Amino acid sequence: MSAALPTVPVLHSEWLKIRSLRGTFGALIAVFVATAGIQALACAAVGQAEAGALGEDPLLGAFYGINFGQIAAFTFGASALAAEFHHGALRTTLTSVPNRTRFYLSKIAMVGALAFLVGQVTGLLTFVLGQAFMGRYALSLGDPGALRAVFGSGVYLTLMALFAAGLTAVLRSAAIVLSVLIPFVVMVPFIIGQAAGGAAEFLPDQAGQLVLRLESTGRLGPWSGLGVLALWAVAALAAGWLAVRRRDA
Amino acid sequence: MNSIEIRELTKEYGRTRAVDRLTFDVLPGRVTGFLGPNGAGKSTTMRLLLGLDRVTSGTATIGGVRFTEFSDPLRRVGALLDAQAAHGGRTARDHLRFLAAANRIPVRRVEEVLEQAGIAAAAKRRIKTFSLGMRQRLGIAAALLGDPEVLLLDEPTNGLDPEGIIWIRELMRGLAAEGRTVLVSSHLMSETAALADHLVVLGQGRLLADSSMEEFIEARSTPKVRLRTSDPVRLRAALARDGFELAAADGGRWTVEGIRAEQLGPLAAREGIPVLELSDERASLEQAYLDLTAGHAQFAATH
Repeated sequence: MSAALPTVPVLHSEWLKIRSLRGTFGALIAVFVATAGIQALACAAVGQAEAGALGEDPLLGAFYGINFGQIAAFTFGASALAAEFHHGALRTTLTSVPNRTRFYLSKIAMVGALAFLVGQVTGLLTFVLGQAFMGRYALSLGDPGALRAVFGSGVYLTLMALFAAGLTAVLRSAAIVLSVLIPFVVMVPFIIGQAAGGAAEFLPDQAGQLVLRLESTGRLGPWSGLGVLALWAVAALAAGWLAVRRRDA
Repeated sequence: MNSIEIRELTKEYGRTRAVDRLTFDVLPGRVTGFLGPNGAGKSTTMRLLLGLDRVTSGTATIGGVRFTEFSDPLRRVGALLDAQAAHGGRTARDHLRFLAAANRIPVRRVEEVLEQAGIAAAAKRRIKTFSLGMRQRLGIAAALLGDPEVLLLDEPTNGLDPEGIIWIRELMRGLAAEGRTVLVSSHLMSETAALADHLVVLGQGRLLADSSMEEFIEARSTPKVRLRTSDPVRLRAALARDGFELAAADGGRWTVEGIRAEQLGPLAAREGIPVLELSDERASLEQAYLDLTAGHAQFAATH
């Protein structure tokens, strides 16, 4: 197995691939811009109107922008993988890295590392920038759960990017993955809501966002919720690995 | 060390056998032409060799090693399979840079191969703006990136202009002369005839021929001479005694089937018949090839 682990040259190659595609690199930047930007705008617009203007849970409200940033995270993860299936670019890649497991793990590692880096910066700045507009309702980093939520939001964005990346390796198209995922996180929780007897809390975004809440009410806590999202991501990545290994390129 | 070894190679797609127990070697120091009708299994064989498709049975190795086991494959094997296989959103330079990075090939090689392939001026352009000929040149640049000992080129002259075709012909001959292994598939006979020293011919996934260009054509040519004479009447009579027939050809020349120049010359001399021109007519590669593949072409047109 050790022969198939990522190597520095292959990771470097994967970095150059992401950096050289406008759409993919743009989506990575958009994770920050959308999350922190929309947070700052929302806080500036309604943050001081009344207590709980951004939702009942003030800590979750401090990461309101993540609902938009996660779409960019999906796009980043999906387009980084989809680029290999564009006009059979994978065939060229495999002439330079013929070990498919090494290729896949290296790409996933690079997608994950970049999403984590940008996610952490995004989490911190979203909180700090947003709260700067909240006046007397502002939370500070020293408040209970704040640091956990800042770190957790970065992990959340990373796992969402990896979830999309794994699905794209299976479905081979960013368009298909995004048209499945976006409705999945935007609408399904509303539709099945409470009706499914609490099963909704195990959906990727619902479980993952528990780490952003001051208090969790269901069966999952902040970390176990993030763990459930991690399981979704790992399942998608494993399915992607099987698809990349098995298929003729 | 650098030869390609194909042993009992078989690939099935569903119930179709694309490659059927294929065995041959491609040796260094010469250009091997890879011929066969569409669907004969040429591209599939190359894809199996590179591990892009999974073999059903048999092996395809380079110097005894499977391609997928190389940690620096671009330094071992340069391949051009499909010039379209590149993401159109990247620039030519970026495309080559990520390939180079994966195999620790220095960045200056990227500039060298861009120059060598004649696309240095387009290095900053996105690949989607490239013509087919330019994509082909980019694919060849990628194949040369690691200065490999083995080159696999599938239809490399696709979309190239006449100047480009001459360029790639000389490039491949030069690479073979340096002792490298060069396998080139093509469906253009005149092009292959001008290029290859050795031929491997497939039909319906099976090996039809594996021989030098000379032997391949020789084995499929019936002896025939072409001549000019000032006394066709006496020559006809003389030939008729030995069972040969003088047939009129264009331009005041004559042809005789079943005989070679080294037989006809002395015969005419014995009889004192003046012969003004005399040469053996050899089949072209195209004729020899069509002769061989007749009946093997899966998609041959019906007349």
